[in-house]
Amino acid sequence: MELLRSQTITARRQPLAASLSKWRRAVPLYMMLLPTIAYFLILTYYPLVHSVLISMQNFNLIGNRPFVGLQNYRNVLSDPNFWTSFRNTLVLGGSILVIGFVAPIIIALSLNEVLQQWMKRTLQMVIYIPHLFSWVVVGGLWIQRLNPDGGLVNAVLHVFGLRPVQFMSDPNLARWVIILVSVWKDVGFNTVLYLAAIVGINPELYNAARVDGANRWHEVWHVTLPSLTRTMQVVALLSIMGVLRLFDQIYVMRNAVIEPKVDVLMTYVYDQGFTQMNIGQATASALLILLATLLLTLFTRRLVQFDAM
Amino acid sequence: MRERMTSSRAAFTALNLLFLALIAATMIVPLWNAVVVSLSSNLGSMQPGIQMWPQGFSVIGYQTIWNVLDLWQPFENSVIVSVFGTAVHVLLSAFAGYALAQPNFPGRRIVTGLVLVSMMIPFEAIMIPFYVTMQELGLLNTLMALILSGAVSGFSILLMRNFFRSIPGDILEAAKVDGAGHFWSMWRICMPLSKAGLATVALFEFVGRWNNLLSTVLLINDSSKDTLQVALNGLVNHGSSTSSGNLITTNVKMAGIIIAILPLILAYPFVQKYFVKGIFLGSSKE
Repeated sequence: MELLRSQTITARRQPLAASLSKWRRAVPLYMMLLPTIAYFLILTYYPLVHSVLISMQNFNLIGNRPFVGLQNYRNVLSDPNFWTSFRNTLVLGGSILVIGFVAPIIIALSLNEVLQQWMKRTLQMVIYIPHLFSWVVVGGLWIQRLNPDGGLVNAVLHVFGLRPVQFMSDPNLARWVIILVSVWKDVGFNTVLYLAAIVGINPELYNAARVDGANRWHEVWHVTLPSLTRTMQVVALLSIMGVLRLFDQIYVMRNAVIEPKVDVLMTYVYDQGFTQMNIGQATASALLILLATLLLTLFTRRLVQFDAM
Repeated sequence: MRERMTSSRAAFTALNLLFLALIAATMIVPLWNAVVVSLSSNLGSMQPGIQMWPQGFSVIGYQTIWNVLDLWQPFENSVIVSVFGTAVHVLLSAFAGYALAQPNFPGRRIVTGLVLVSMMIPFEAIMIPFYVTMQELGLLNTLMALILSGAVSGFSILLMRNFFRSIPGDILEAAKVDGAGHFWSMWRICMPLSKAGLATVALFEFVGRWNNLLSTVLLINDSSKDTLQVALNGLVNHGSSTSSGNLITTNVKMAGIIIAILPLILAYPFVQKYFVKGIFLGSSKE
């Protein structure tokens, strides 16, 4: 009996001791993880959870913060400015998404046809440069270039005998400026991703295609493009997550005249929160946007069946 | 038939090069033009027309922005925030990446989940509660707030983890037999073998921090603590100036832009080398 009991005790103690020593061995790992865990808890998850609370308060930075239930959400959804920003986000974000998806594929395929290595590398470097610059720099450059009196673009138009165009004070033109400058800035980044993927394609596939009588267009269509699907998925997912984050560019490039046509959801949040000090309502709208982003991301992942990401 | 094939091939090559040259020109011409205008005299920079060479060569633009508009202070703030912020970011990402690369320790799945989910929460979406948290921590209006925001990221952690995982297990086994603990084997074995990974994370982060606008706009109210991007945005895009009454000519604006891109142009040769590998390594989660 005595023996049996001690046996059960050791039998029970052993896994406990084993798991204890397992934890003890993990202590150095947890010390390495500590700052990261603290960062995510304090500066990502706490703000996220806190924002649910803020969104239901009439929030003041100093003083009392009365609870108002869903009033902020009702205010957001009945605010015409919110819906304008929503529509602008769809138009601007959607256009950037589509043009920004197709352009780097075309440029990468075109670059791949260049046989001289030095020329290929130089072009690739040049096309990548704008991606390095901040939106302040890119916005500043293009606002100056598009200036109706003396800007570079209008100077070129003048050479062709055309009249100066008010790019940044015509809301509809400004929309196109925003879309095209956004594509201009990021096209090199995605082009280099595609080029890297093209280099990795198994040359056997091209040989096999040639044996089957394929010409160059067939090769591009039946070998190169299908081999790029994975890269296309990475690019699509990254771009879709980027659409609802559109902020810096608009913040830098907008002006009072074009605002109704270019303000997006994130500038709406910023304006509500920090210009009008309407923090509760701003937080409510940010949460709605976050929810939409998450749904969109999950939906895209399912759509492109992106398991690796 | 053969003749026609080659001539159509030649036509295609020519058209293709023309297409690429046009695209490259849209990247190079505005940039070259900015350099040229920044080196023009005040009056010369306001001349209309296509300027491909300085109009009345002068460095007055740079002098004005540096001495009169006092861009030195924001520049210094940017350097501090970018350098220290990047150092912290690289260190924390490496530590966390190393820990998460170790197989099966208790709680690993939960921490991995914490990291992965954080990648789905864009900073812009939590900017207001983030601001409130910084206020609660008493860090508003400090450079420390800028260094701390983005002190680590899920993307960098995954990138480092994937780098560390590619280190042959034999080397680590051998170190363990020799009595090396986790800190030692990370510091002396894994880090030196992952220089490419560390460089990738560092460059991504440095460029991101140098170009960052939103954090400063949110967290800094005191113009003496503004970073270069915020100061420049006021100057270049909204014409406001720290010392009122100055007409900011185009050469001054372009000089500011050149100052803002110079560190990136210097880092550029290294960026190209690392980042393609980096983006693929960081974006695969399994």
